[in-house]
Amino acid sequence: MSFVAAQILNGIATGMLYALMGLGLSLVTGILNIPNFAHGALFAIGAYLLATVAVAIGNFWIALLIAPVGVALLGLAIEYAGIRRLYAAGHDYQLLFTFGLALILSESIILIWGPIGSSYLPPAILRGGADLGFTMYPKYRLFVMMAAGVLVFATWLFLEKTRYGAIMRAGIENKEMVSLLGIDIQKLFTVAFGLGAWLAGIAGALTAPIRGLNPGMGPDMLGIAFVVVALGGLGNLLGAIAAGLIIGVAQALVAAYWTEASTVVIYAVMAVILLVRPQGLFGIR
Amino acid sequence: MKKPFLLILISIFLLPLVVRPAIASEIWIFAIFGLGANLLLGYTGLLSFGQSTFFGSAAYVAGWMMKVHGINAFLALVAGIGVGALSAAAVGYLCVQRSGLYFIMLTFALNQLFYFTAYQWTSVTGGEDGMPGVPRPALAGIDFKDPLIYYAFVSLLFLLALFLMKRITESPLGKILQAIRENEVRAEAVGYNVPRFKLLAFVVGGAFSGLAGVLYAMLFGIVPLEAISFVFSGNVVFATLIGGSGSLYGPVIGSFVFIWLSESMSTVWARWPLLLGVAFVLVVMFLRGGLVEAWTRFWTWRSSKQRD
Amino acid sequence: MALLETKRLTKSFGALTAVNGVSLAVEAGSLHSIIGPNGAGKTTLFNLLTGTFPPTSGQILFDQNDITGTPASRVAHLGLARSYQRTTVFPAFSLFDNVWVAAFATGKSWKGLLHKKTSDYAEVTGRARQALQDVGLEQKSTQLARQLSHGEQRQLELAIALAAAPRVLLLDEPAAGLSPEETRRMVALVRALKGRYTMVLIEHKMDIIMSVSDRISVMHFGSLIAEGTPAEIQKNADVRRAYLGGVAA
Repeated sequence: MSFVAAQILNGIATGMLYALMGLGLSLVTGILNIPNFAHGALFAIGAYLLATVAVAIGNFWIALLIAPVGVALLGLAIEYAGIRRLYAAGHDYQLLFTFGLALILSESIILIWGPIGSSYLPPAILRGGADLGFTMYPKYRLFVMMAAGVLVFATWLFLEKTRYGAIMRAGIENKEMVSLLGIDIQKLFTVAFGLGAWLAGIAGALTAPIRGLNPGMGPDMLGIAFVVVALGGLGNLLGAIAAGLIIGVAQALVAAYWTEASTVVIYAVMAVILLVRPQGLFGIR
Repeated sequence: MKKPFLLILISIFLLPLVVRPAIASEIWIFAIFGLGANLLLGYTGLLSFGQSTFFGSAAYVAGWMMKVHGINAFLALVAGIGVGALSAAAVGYLCVQRSGLYFIMLTFALNQLFYFTAYQWTSVTGGEDGMPGVPRPALAGIDFKDPLIYYAFVSLLFLLALFLMKRITESPLGKILQAIRENEVRAEAVGYNVPRFKLLAFVVGGAFSGLAGVLYAMLFGIVPLEAISFVFSGNVVFATLIGGSGSLYGPVIGSFVFIWLSESMSTVWARWPLLLGVAFVLVVMFLRGGLVEAWTRFWTWRSSKQRD
Repeated sequence: MALLETKRLTKSFGALTAVNGVSLAVEAGSLHSIIGPNGAGKTTLFNLLTGTFPPTSGQILFDQNDITGTPASRVAHLGLARSYQRTTVFPAFSLFDNVWVAAFATGKSWKGLLHKKTSDYAEVTGRARQALQDVGLEQKSTQLARQLSHGEQRQLELAIALAAAPRVLLLDEPAAGLSPEETRRMVALVRALKGRYTMVLIEHKMDIIMSVSDRISVMHFGSLIAEGTPAEIQKNADVRRAYLGGVAA
C-alpha cells in the first residue's frame, strides 16, 4: 500500500515537472507558431547550469534562481539571433533550425561537461525522507512537487490575471488581433520565447537532484514535452497539467512493476489516449 | 533518356572510384529513404519527423529474420517493405487527423515510442549496442559478401525505387497528394477523403523507408539503435530539404551531399553532430529552397550577367 | 420535383445559431438564389449542404435520399459541387491540373491510381478541358493558377466545380470582388450554365439576382424570412425591412 502511494507521489512530482515543460513548450509553440525542437536542450542546460553554479558558489538556492535565468537569457539570444528571421519561413525550415540548434546545444553539453553522466545531490536540508504517516518519502521530491505546483499556479495567474498574460493568450488565438490592438508582436514573441526557455530551465534545474545529469536528458524530455502538448493542447494550461500528471503517474506505476517499460509507457499512454480521443484531452485540432 | 537520370547513372558508376563501396552504397540507400520521406514532405506537404520509425522497424525485423531464421535476401526485402508499410500505417493512422505543429510533434513522439521500445527490448535489439550479426545472405546464387557486388545490388534497387517513385508521382495519386498540399479544403470538397489519402502516402513512403532499412542493415551487418532514433528522422528531413523537396530528384541530390559530408566529418571529429547542427542552421539561414533552387538561381544570375 | 431539399435545418456554434430551422426546396433544373445581409448564415447553409460540417438538427435530402451528415468528400461523389466565396484553388497547379484533379475525383474508376499516367484517363481529361472551355480559360490551361488575375481566378474557381460534372452547382458569390466588366462576364457565364445544372446561388449584387434567378429565398439572422419569384421578393415588406436594418421602409 505505502509502496503504491509512494509511487503515485513520485508520479505526481515528475508529472508536475512534465507539466512545467509542456507549459513552456506550448507557450513558445502556440505564440510563435514554430516547432521548438531545442526545448529539451534548454531543459538539459538548466540542469547542468544548476549543478555547476551550485558547486561553484556553494549555495543550491541561489543556483536555483540563477540557472533558469541563464537559460532564459540563452533563449532570448536564440530568438534574437535566429528564430526572429524565421517567422515567415515554413515549418520545415523552422524545424530544421531548432533541430540544428538542439544538436549544437547537446553536443556543446558533451564538450563542456563530458559525455558521462553524473549525479547531483540535493541540498543538505532536503536530503533524506519525511514521514508522511503512510509512507516515508524523500524530502526533495516533496519540495519539487510544491515548487512545480507553485510555478504552474504562478504561470496560470500570470496568463489569466495580468494584462500581459491576456495578450499572450490572445497571441495564441489570434495574432492579427494582437497586432491590430497596437501591441508590438515582435516583443511578445521575444518575451514568450524567453518565458518558455525560463520554464524549461527551471524544470531542468529542479530535475537535476532527482535524476542526475546526463547528455541524453534533453532529447528524452523533449519527447515528453511534445506528448504533453499533443494531449493537452497548445496554450492549454489545464491540459498541460492533466497530461503531465497522467503520464507522470502512469510512468511511476508501471516503473514499479516493470522498470524496462517505464519510458515506453509515456508514449504508449499517449497513443492509447489519441486512439480513443483523437482530438486530445480537451478537444483540440 | 532525360538529363537527371543520365547524371545519376554516371554517378552510380563513378562513385565507387571516389569513395569506399560502403559509403557509396549508403548514399543510394539513404536516397531510397529520402524518396519515401519526400512523398510526405514534398508532395503531400506533411512534415513527418518520424521517418526513422519505419526505417528502423524494418531494419530490426528483417535483420532479426535473416540472423535468427536465416531467410534469404529476397524474403528479407519483402519483410522489410511490409514492416515499413505496416508501421507507417499505424503511425499514420494516429497522425493524419492532426495538422500543422501537432502533426510534427505527434510523428516525433511516436518515433520516440518505437525508439524506446528498441532501446529497452535488449534481448532482441541489443539496446544501446545495436543488433549485430546481421548476415548478407546470397540471392539466386549471387554472393553479396563482395562490397562491390553488394553496391551493384543496392544501385539496382535504388534505380528501381526511383523508377517506381517517378511513376507514383506522375500518377493520379501523385496529383491528388499535391492537391492536398496545395489546398486541403478544396481537395476534400472535390471528393477526396483527405485523411485516407494522407494515410496512403504514409504507407507508400513507409514501404520505401522499409526497403532502405533492410539494405542498411545488410550493408553494415548491424542495426544500430540510432537507425530508429529521431536524429535519423531529422537527417532525412535535412537531406530532403537541402536537395529541394519540390522535385523528385531533390532528395537524391540531398542524400548524396548529406552522406558524403557526414561520413567525411565523422571520421575527423567525434563531436561532428555539432558541425551538422551548424550546417542545419546555416542552410536555413542562407540556402532556403535547397540546392536545386540555388543552382537555378546561380544560373539565372550568371546568364543575366553575361547579357549585361 | 425538388432535387435538393432541407427540412428544419439548424446549425449552432455554441450560443450562436447560424442557421435556424431552414426548410428549402430547390427544383430540378432551376436557379435558386439565396440572399440576405452579411452574417445571415448563407455560407453556413452551403457548408451544411456540402457536408463541411454536420447540422445540429434537421435533414438534408438529395434526390429523395437523406444525405444528412454525409462528409464533404462523399457529397461530391453524389453530384453536389460548390465554389467558394474566397477563392480556393490549387495555386501551384496549372489551370489544367486544377480542373483535372477535380474531374478525376468523380471519375468512373480510380483503377491505376498508383501507376497509370494522368494522361491515360481520356474521359477525365475530356471533362477537364470542357470545364476550362465552359468558363473561357482554355487558352491559359498551362498557366499556373497563382499567376492569374483575380477575375480569372474566380472563373477557375467555377471551373473546378464544373469539372466534377455535378447535378447541383452551389455557387457562393461568384462575382465577389469583380470589376463591373468582369461581373458582366460572370453573369453571362452563370446564365449560360442555367438549364444545364440545377443551381443554388448566393449573391449580394441585387441586379444579378433579379435578372438570373427563378426563385429567391431570403435569409435573415439564420432564418428564412421570405421565398418567391424575383418579382414577389421585390415587393416583400419583410425583405425590405431586413435590408434596411429594421427602419420602416
